[in-house]
Amino acid sequence: MQILEKSKLDDFLQMLAKHQPVIVPTDVDGLSQYAPYQAQMTLLLDGKPTVSPKGIFLPQTEAIYRFKAQGKNLLIAEMENQQTPQVLFFVRHCDVQGIVCLDKVFMSPEYTDQQYAKKREITTIFALRCNGSKESCFCTSMGVDPEKANPAAADVEVYDLGDQFAFEALNERGEKVLSQAAELLSNQDNVILPPVPERKLQLKTEGLPEKLSTTFDAPIWNDFMFKCLGCGTCTYLCPTCHCFDINNKLRGEDGLKLRTWDSCMFDEYTLMAGGHQPRTGKKERIRNRFLHKLQYFYEKHQMFLCVGCGRCLTKCPMNIDISKFVQQVMKEESR
Amino acid sequence: MNQEAIQTKMRQRAKELLNSGAVTMVLGWEAGTFWYQSTPILIRQAEDADKLVWNDFCQNNLSKYLLDFRFTNEKIALFLKGCDSRAFNRLLQDKQIEREKTYIIGIPCEGMKDHRLAQSKNEGDDLPLAKICQSCRYPNPVIYDELLTEEVTPRQKIVDFSDVEAIEQMSADERYEFWQKEHTKCIRCYACRNVCPACNCRKCIFDQATSGWNSKDVNASENQFYAMTRAIHIAGRCIECGQCEYVCPANIPIMLMNKKLIKDIDLLFGDYDAGLSIEGQPPLGHFEKDDPEEFM
Ligand code: SF4
Ligand code: SF4
Ligand code: SF4
Ligand code: SF4
Repeated sequence: MQILEKSKLDDFLQMLAKHQPVIVPTDVDGLSQYAPYQAQMTLLLDGKPTVSPKGIFLPQTEAIYRFKAQGKNLLIAEMENQQTPQVLFFVRHCDVQGIVCLDKVFMSPEYTDQQYAKKREITTIFALRCNGSKESCFCTSMGVDPEKANPAAADVEVYDLGDQFAFEALNERGEKVLSQAAELLSNQDNVILPPVPERKLQLKTEGLPEKLSTTFDAPIWNDFMFKCLGCGTCTYLCPTCHCFDINNKLRGEDGLKLRTWDSCMFDEYTLMAGGHQPRTGKKERIRNRFLHKLQYFYEKHQMFLCVGCGRCLTKCPMNIDISKFVQQVMKEESR
Repeated sequence: MNQEAIQTKMRQRAKELLNSGAVTMVLGWEAGTFWYQSTPILIRQAEDADKLVWNDFCQNNLSKYLLDFRFTNEKIALFLKGCDSRAFNRLLQDKQIEREKTYIIGIPCEGMKDHRLAQSKNEGDDLPLAKICQSCRYPNPVIYDELLTEEVTPRQKIVDFSDVEAIEQMSADERYEFWQKEHTKCIRCYACRNVCPACNCRKCIFDQATSGWNSKDVNASENQFYAMTRAIHIAGRCIECGQCEYVCPANIPIMLMNKKLIKDIDLLFGDYDAGLSIEGQPPLGHFEKDDPEEFM
């Protein structure tokens, strides 16, 4: 492993920033998120940012192509994407797993989303092994390994040793970035790693998807849905939610085709062209959100579309809590 | 009366009302996942009434939930704090709800605690009142069928506009930069709109993406268009419950804009506090022939 004194973190990041943009967790005007690194920035290292890293790969708004409509002619032009390599720092294992979930959707064997794949290709991800869990964290219950970041997305694992960081490159791409600041790093074998903090919130999830497959019409959905606001807080902050909408932005003859985030909690979602709304109310919408995360996605990809980051538990203004829901389902005799 | 005594009385009244058949359901708050969260609950069975809580975090304004039951025959009892009761009046004035279908149990309110700060504290630690509650002028319900306790003394007598004045004193460029920064953070989740008791249009313009009025792209300019439209649409109708700011995941000081509008309305139309009573007309909800504005 390669060791960096914490006091040298700023030098280290600056050195890397000479080669490519570096993105770090920090507070921007009162909202914690991943943002471009600047010298002497205060980094957020003892918790997750409110805004997950998914927007780096799936931006909330992204232009897909330009078009020009002249009379009967339509001209289409690709976006001039000048994307250069970048490094994304301190992504916790839950959020790394979130990126793996997105990969399943946007880089599946059936279809690869070019814009998404490009961003994944140019981004080296430094995972941060958990150095302090919150009361709302339940990643271990959702299939996230607290010891090892999912190597399908992480390129380097970072261990917090107190006064030092230890880096472990998981692949060549990771090694290459580390070599950019080799002079600040020292090699050390047999690094003693601190224990991963215990998760306070532990759920039973074995057999959950099967159990849910019979709940579609069960009374369990009636109980707490009434209080949902139908806002985008849970899905927009969630590291795995990936629904989007395609829009046109028109200015005279010129147009932009945009992809923007969408949320199954909005009442415009699933609204059909003729005005019919098959998903009529809060209950139907929350049922979709929970079942997509805990059953449908699992059936397709053998992993949950919830990584237990706890963002929705603490940020939902009405405290609609997916972890409580899981506990309730697992408690109930086969519904 | 202390919180626990109020809570006991709450549960008791809920039970009585359900058992007697006076109401078909009760809206209140129950304990949330963490100690700094309380959350709305809907109770139909008297035995569930013991889930009701009254503590420092019963922020959620229950009045707006009545809209969901507009087209039912439910008779609903609900607990309302001072601000919530102004919301109730607001909805009555907009003819969105029927007074006869409700039973209001008013709770004179000592103020809720700052739930954001609480997340970095431990249970039992001293916490300041939520910002909105610090400046509350109407902690006592203004409409009710019964009150749970004696009325409390308002914490403020007049609106404290000092935060608005600080913004007014900025140069136009500074002000622009201030709001630009704030609105860049907005993720357009619409929680602020959905929670607002003054927002009750059947179809919000922001739910009509194909209309061309607004675009779904999230950037400072579209976000600003959203924020200002929302603020203007509730001008003269904001009842200062602060729910918008409470729910905003991006910590945007939404009330600052609402208060600016309240200040301007006071200045232009004379002092007006929305939702205090259903008598009279809201300043922007009617017109008079001798209006100084020519086009009226
Ligand atoms: S569950 Fe919570 S965050 Fe999600 S839409 Fe409902 S109120 Fe908003
Ligand atoms: S559903 Fe909630 S806890 Fe699960 S990954 Fe999404 S935000 Fe995190
Ligand atoms: S939970 Fe809803 S918003 Fe999230 S990915 Fe599934 S359908 Fe989309
Ligand atoms: S609640 Fe906050 S983030 Fe959400 S739309 Fe309103 S201002 Fe924007």
